[in-house]
Amino acid sequence: MTEQVSTQQNVLSVRDLGKEYRLYASPRQRLAALLRGKANYRSHWAIQGVTFDLVRGQCIGVIGDNGAGKSSLLKLLAGTLTPTRGTIERVGRVTAILELGAGFHPEFSGRDNLYFAGNLIGIEREQMAELEPSIIEFSELGDAMDRPVKTYSSGMSVRLAFALVTAVQPDLLIIDEALAVGDQHFQKKCIDRIMDFRAKGCTILFCSHSPYHIRHLCDRALWLHQGRVRQFGETEEVLGSYLVHSRLLDEGQPDVAEPQAAAAAAPAGPPPPPADPAQAHVVSVELANLVEGEDMPRLNSKDLVATIVVRGRGDERPNVGFMIEQSKGVGITSLATHEEGAHPVSLGNGLWRSILTFPNLPLHSGDYVISAYVFDESGLIVYDQWFQFFHFRFVSPTLMPGLVHLPHRWE
Amino acid sequence: MLTVWNEFRSIWRARALVNVLTRREISGRHAGTAAGIFWLYIQPLFSVAAFYLVFDVVFAMRQGSGAHSTGVGTFLVVGALPWMAFCDALMRGMNSLLDAGGLLQKNPMPPVFFVVKSVLASSVIFGPLLMLMGLAYAPLHGFAVALWALLPLLLLQVLLSFLLAYTLAILAAALRDTVQFVGFLVSVGIYLTPVLFPVTLFPENWRWLLWLNPMTAFVLAYQQILLQGAWPEPGVWVAVGSWTLLVGAGLNVLVKRSRDQLVDWL
Repeated sequence: MTEQVSTQQNVLSVRDLGKEYRLYASPRQRLAALLRGKANYRSHWAIQGVTFDLVRGQCIGVIGDNGAGKSSLLKLLAGTLTPTRGTIERVGRVTAILELGAGFHPEFSGRDNLYFAGNLIGIEREQMAELEPSIIEFSELGDAMDRPVKTYSSGMSVRLAFALVTAVQPDLLIIDEALAVGDQHFQKKCIDRIMDFRAKGCTILFCSHSPYHIRHLCDRALWLHQGRVRQFGETEEVLGSYLVHSRLLDEGQPDVAEPQAAAAAAPAGPPPPPADPAQAHVVSVELANLVEGEDMPRLNSKDLVATIVVRGRGDERPNVGFMIEQSKGVGITSLATHEEGAHPVSLGNGLWRSILTFPNLPLHSGDYVISAYVFDESGLIVYDQWFQFFHFRFVSPTLMPGLVHLPHRWE
Repeated sequence: MLTVWNEFRSIWRARALVNVLTRREISGRHAGTAAGIFWLYIQPLFSVAAFYLVFDVVFAMRQGSGAHSTGVGTFLVVGALPWMAFCDALMRGMNSLLDAGGLLQKNPMPPVFFVVKSVLASSVIFGPLLMLMGLAYAPLHGFAVALWALLPLLLLQVLLSFLLAYTLAILAAALRDTVQFVGFLVSVGIYLTPVLFPVTLFPENWRWLLWLNPMTAFVLAYQQILLQGAWPEPGVWVAVGSWTLLVGAGLNVLVKRSRDQLVDWL
C-alpha cells in the first residue's frame, strides 16, 4: 500500500494521519458537549491511517470516489484542517490552490487586497513590492488593480488570486481541481505556470476526478477509499485498479446508471457554438458513408472515417480527440492526436482539421455513440467537447457475438 | 492556563500578521465612507458629548444626596464610555470567528488571530478616547496621582474583553444563538452596571446582581479615579482579577475541547 522512499529529499511525510468529524444531533448538543465535556456525538472518520511520503519533484495524483476524503486530505496537508491523529511534516513553502479568491475584501482595491492576502500566505510588504509587477502582469488586471474588488468579475478575482498564490515558487503545490480557472486563455497560462513549477523541481499533489489529467500530469497516484489509502504507486497501475472499481460501482447501481443510459441513447446532437466565435471549439465532425437507417443513421462501409474540424486558440496548434462508445455508454476506445504524435492540419483562418480513419472497423454489429474533443497544445486543457453527440448503427459482416475483433492468429 | 498561554504565544510570534489584520479590521470598519477613520472616533465621542450637553449644560442636573456631587452628565460619561468600549470589543470579538469562517477554512491560521484583531481594533479606537476622558477629568481633582491607575485598568479591560470575546466566539461557533443571547444581555447589561446610576442608588438586597456583570468593577474603578481622584479600592481590583482568572480558566477548557474542530463549525 505505502512505499518507503528515501527520506533524504522528502518534501512531505505523512504518518498515520486521521481526521475525525464529530457529528452532533443538533448545534445544541454541540454546545452541551463543549460546556460539559461529555461527548455525545457520532464519529465520522474522513481520513484514517493515511501514511505516505512525497519526494522532491514528484507529482502525485489523488483519486477516489466522492466522499472518499480527498478534500479533507488536501485541507489537512494545506494546514486549514487540524488532524485528529497522526503527523504531517512539510519541508519548505507549501502553496494550496484549493478555493481561490477567499479573503478579498470587496470594498478595497485589488492592490490593497493583494498586499493583505499576501500577508496571509507569508509574503510580507517588502517582498510583495518586488513581486507586484509580475503578479499584475500575470493576472492581466492592469489599471483594474486600483478599483475595488467588488467591481471585478468572478474571473478577475480568480486571476488575481491565482497570480498571487503562485507568485512564489513553492516546494509543495497542492491543487484541487483548480485547473479550470477563468477563460481558455487564462487556463492555458495557469497550466503553463504549474508545468513550469514542475519542471523546476516543485512537488505537486493534484486531486482530480479526471483520470485523463492524472495520467498526463502525475508520476504516481494515490487512491483514497473511505478515508484510507487503497493503493499508492505507479499512476497506470493505480488508475487501472481504480477504473475497474468505478466500473463495478456503476454496475452495482442500476437505478442510477439507467436513466443516464436512457439519456445517452437519445440523439444528443452537438452543443450550440460558443458565444465567442474566436474561442477554441469543435466546428464540425463528419462521418463518411452514412445512410439513413430505421431509427438511427447506419454506417454503410467497412471503414469509419471521421473528419473533425476545430478552431484553435490564437496561433496555438490544437489537438483533437475522438471517442467511440457503445450507445449505452460503455467505452470502447478513445484517441487523441497528442497521444500519437499526429498533428491536425491547418486550414488557415484559425481552423484545423484531422481525418481519423479506422480501416475495417473492428466492431461487431451494434449501436455506437461518438464524442469529439479539442485540446490545447499540451493536451492538458480540454477546450471544448461534443460529448456523445452522435449515435450510429454498424452492421458487421460477422454473425458471432461480441464487441470487437481483436488482432488474433489461429494455429 | 497552559492552552490559553500558548494562544498568547502564537499571537506574539505572529505579531506582524496580527498587526496587519488589526489595521485591516479598522480600515474595513470605515471602508467606503468619505470621512473615513473619523467616523470611528466621532460616533462614541458624540454619544458621550450628548450626555454632557443634555444633562449638564441644557438641564444642569445635579445628582441627589449620597452620590458624588457632580453633574449627571459628567457622571454618566465616566461609566458610559468604558461600557461602550467593552460592548464594542465583546460583540465584534464574538462575531469575529463566524465572520472569518471562509478565510479560516482556506488559510492555515490560528482562529485566535481573528478574535484578537477585533478586540485590538476596538481598543485602538476606544483607548485614546478613554485616555482623553482621563485628561478631561483631571482638572476636577487637580491632576491626582491616582490617574495613573487608568493605565493598568485599561490594559486589564482589554485583556478581559479579549478573554470573554474569545469564549463567546467559541460558544457562538458551536451554537449561533449565542450571538442573539449575548446581544440581549449587552442591551440590558447597562442596567446591571453602575453606569446610569451610582451603585448606592441600587436597592441593597439586589446589589449582588451587579457583581454578575464583569464591567461593574471596572466602572466603579473609573468612577473612583476620575470623579474622586482616588485609587480604586482593593475590592475592585480583586473583582477585576477574579473575573479575569475565572474567564481565563473557562476559556482554557473551551479552547482545549474545541481546538481541532473549531474551524469545521464555522
